[in-house]
Amino acid sequence: MSNFLTVKGVTAGYGDGPAILDDAHMTVQKGKVHCIIGPNGAGKSTLMKAIAGMLPLRKGEIEFKGENIAGQRPDQMLRRGIAFVPQERALFPKMTVRENLKMGGYILNNDKALTSRIDEIFDRFPILKERADQHAGTMSGGQQQTLAMARTLILRPEVVMFDEPSLGLAPKIVREMFGIVRMIADTGVTVLLVEQNAVMGLKNADWGVVLDLGRTLFEGPSAEVLADPRIQELYLGGRRAA
Amino acid sequence: MSDTMQETSAVLEARKAYNETLRIKADQTRATWFPITLMILLMALPLLQFTGNYNYMLHMVLLTASYVAMASSWNILGGFAGYISLGHNVFFCIGGYFAGMLVARYGWSGIALAPLAGLVAALFGYAIGLITLRVRGPSFIISSIALVMIARLLFDHWKFVGGANGVTLPPTELSVQWAKLPYYYAMLFIAAFTVWCSYKIKHSKFGLGLRAISKDEIKAEAAGIDTRFYKVTAFALSAFFVGMTGAVWGEYLTYIRPSIFLVILIAAYMVLMCILGGKGTIAGPVIGAILLTAFNEFFVATMGASELNILGTGVIMAVCLMFFPHGIVGTLARKGKLPKILNWD
Amino acid sequence: MDQIIQVAVLGIGLGGVFALMGSGLSLVFGVMRIVNLAHPSLIIGGAYIAYWGFKLYGIDPLIMLPVCAVILAVTGILFYKVFFERDAKSATYSEMTVLLTFAIAMIVEGALGAAFSNTQRVTSPVYATDAFFIGDVFIPKGQLYAGIVSIVIIGLLAAFLKYSRLGYAIRATTQNREAAALLGVNVNMVGLMSFAIGIGLAGAAGALTSFVFSFFPAKHWEWVAVLMSLVVMGGMGSILGTVIAAFSLSIVAAFVGTWIGSTWSTMTFFLALFLVLLFRPQGLFGEKPELV
Repeated sequence: MSNFLTVKGVTAGYGDGPAILDDAHMTVQKGKVHCIIGPNGAGKSTLMKAIAGMLPLRKGEIEFKGENIAGQRPDQMLRRGIAFVPQERALFPKMTVRENLKMGGYILNNDKALTSRIDEIFDRFPILKERADQHAGTMSGGQQQTLAMARTLILRPEVVMFDEPSLGLAPKIVREMFGIVRMIADTGVTVLLVEQNAVMGLKNADWGVVLDLGRTLFEGPSAEVLADPRIQELYLGGRRAA
Repeated sequence: MSDTMQETSAVLEARKAYNETLRIKADQTRATWFPITLMILLMALPLLQFTGNYNYMLHMVLLTASYVAMASSWNILGGFAGYISLGHNVFFCIGGYFAGMLVARYGWSGIALAPLAGLVAALFGYAIGLITLRVRGPSFIISSIALVMIARLLFDHWKFVGGANGVTLPPTELSVQWAKLPYYYAMLFIAAFTVWCSYKIKHSKFGLGLRAISKDEIKAEAAGIDTRFYKVTAFALSAFFVGMTGAVWGEYLTYIRPSIFLVILIAAYMVLMCILGGKGTIAGPVIGAILLTAFNEFFVATMGASELNILGTGVIMAVCLMFFPHGIVGTLARKGKLPKILNWD
Repeated sequence: MDQIIQVAVLGIGLGGVFALMGSGLSLVFGVMRIVNLAHPSLIIGGAYIAYWGFKLYGIDPLIMLPVCAVILAVTGILFYKVFFERDAKSATYSEMTVLLTFAIAMIVEGALGAAFSNTQRVTSPVYATDAFFIGDVFIPKGQLYAGIVSIVIIGLLAAFLKYSRLGYAIRATTQNREAAALLGVNVNMVGLMSFAIGIGLAGAAGALTSFVFSFFPAKHWEWVAVLMSLVVMGGMGSILGTVIAAFSLSIVAAFVGTWIGSTWSTMTFFLALFLVLLFRPQGLFGEKPELV
């Protein structure tokens, strides 16, 4: 179980800048929903980018199914089954929904397989089928986020990472997004989430990771994280204190 | 928590030490005597005329001085505010034509008219800036090129100013030996004045605002800088000195013609001189102007072909941009190896 | 009435050529965020290839067109490798790249000038000076052919972008470089291909230009401003916008040329540029409120 995906002592930053991640670690279990929380600038998004292969590690390992995959390119990660949806603007606004989904299967390079997989996606997300020939940029925020998340499924990944899927969405739509996350996890796909709204994120997750100053402060079952008084005080807005 | 506190205080210590070294550096590197001495030497240079004919040398200094003025002027907009104009020769042209026409019609002195010509160019700069500075980056650069094309079309077909043939101006009545002197001193003065002004601008609140704009315009605006006013004013100022140069240059050549003002190569030189010397520095445009004028003269003298000249200019520009984007002064300053005499900032 | 049709037809013919010139420029800008000021000088390069093909071997410029396109495409790849690959990695646009293309334009102009001198040239296949008459409407064959070929090439380009795998990758990279890279698109390769295609289109436009306009190495400055006006008006990077701007302005320019004077027809483009900057800085078809 613990041999699925492990982040070990990862240190990373942008360009010559300071280290945003400083000895971060994380254990990812197959088929579970994991939520990474922490204040602004804690390194949550950076951790995801590091796993997705978008920035080189200065130190540490990312072990996936018993193999160190640190230092690989995004497309190599994708081929291994790790997909990532960055915060906001993850879509191609002037391409149609169908074209966006086709881009999701870009590395398949097989039109026939792609068409049938897109049809599968349309069956699971009827709203996307309705909008198939509409430009992605003209849809509502919730629909765009749905498309971005659904797009990762084209490649039938093992791990999907969503960076703040609830950003800028109305509460009702946010609940829908978490519904989709759960639905994805129920098919056996492992999910990693970054959430600004920590309580909401943890309630919808199985495993919680608290990140601050680029370090992992705590990780464990999300119920435990939610119940921990120290974390409540510092990160969950339990009590206003210094 | 106490760990972080200690780390923080270590950072503060480091910052203090760093600021200290900066202060020491700034103290060491002031050498105002150098530009002043240089200026005195150049003022005295015409004394050589008593001993023989040094007109060629005077011409070269005059030419260099005109480029020093234009490049330094360009630097106010391009170097400080970060708006690259490839159409600044339009103001060169406006200044030259404004003074030139008054010289031709009424026999006034182009040198005396230079400040007025600069003002006219600045007014045009202000008006044009109001339109073109609405956009940034590539769109602005494109609009500046379009400006040259528009000016060329207008001046080529404007009968009153002689169209493409231009207007011949009355030559000076001085003897050959002394004919260049008024223009020599005028141009020298304009160049020195421009460099001095650009120094003053850089160290003013206005200059600080311009640099903020070049770093991040949106943040500058959020910080309460009236970016539009700043940019347009910078544009007008940088048109002013170029316009003055044009007024003197036209009278010196004794003719005004679109093809001497409105060729893209002149605009290219202004940009290239600044980049070669160091965009945004005070000494950079001066050094760039000296080097490029010398190189140009050498090129024309040895090869003679203007096509090869364009090719050579392009190559130098490409090499500079790719390998020394900060220019001579900028690169040396970054390495902390800038000689005192070149630090005019 | 006949005259109106007449002028409109001429405008459409020229519009096609300008649209072809501008679409390559727009493609490169879209993918690389580089305003390639050297584009028009490369068009002149293409025109010279067609010119010498005709002059030395009597090959029709329309047949030389693919040759010009391929030679220029290779040049484009070369330029990308030498000048832009390093910058492409940072994927950030800077004024420096514009100036770099300005320098390249000077290099190309200087090299062409040194090799072929600054005399005006024009390729003269028979049709270049021939014309059709439909009633009283006079249609010069040269412009007609050039217009038709341009429209066909632009159609092919549009189909390529719409349906091919590389076309998808190019469009995706244009719209969202980071997301494209995350989905496995090799954005560097896409940049290289966009250069090859964009400059290749410049070569094709050059072949057509060689018998429509007389040309000389320094002529490209005239086109820089015209083509850039089209790209800005089309909304920086929107090929469709560029094409529409090319056709509409060319038609207006043709009327200006006929009724006000031929010297003022290019003024149409510059004035339109300034009007757009004044009233709709993001371009007619651009969406971003502020340009990069």
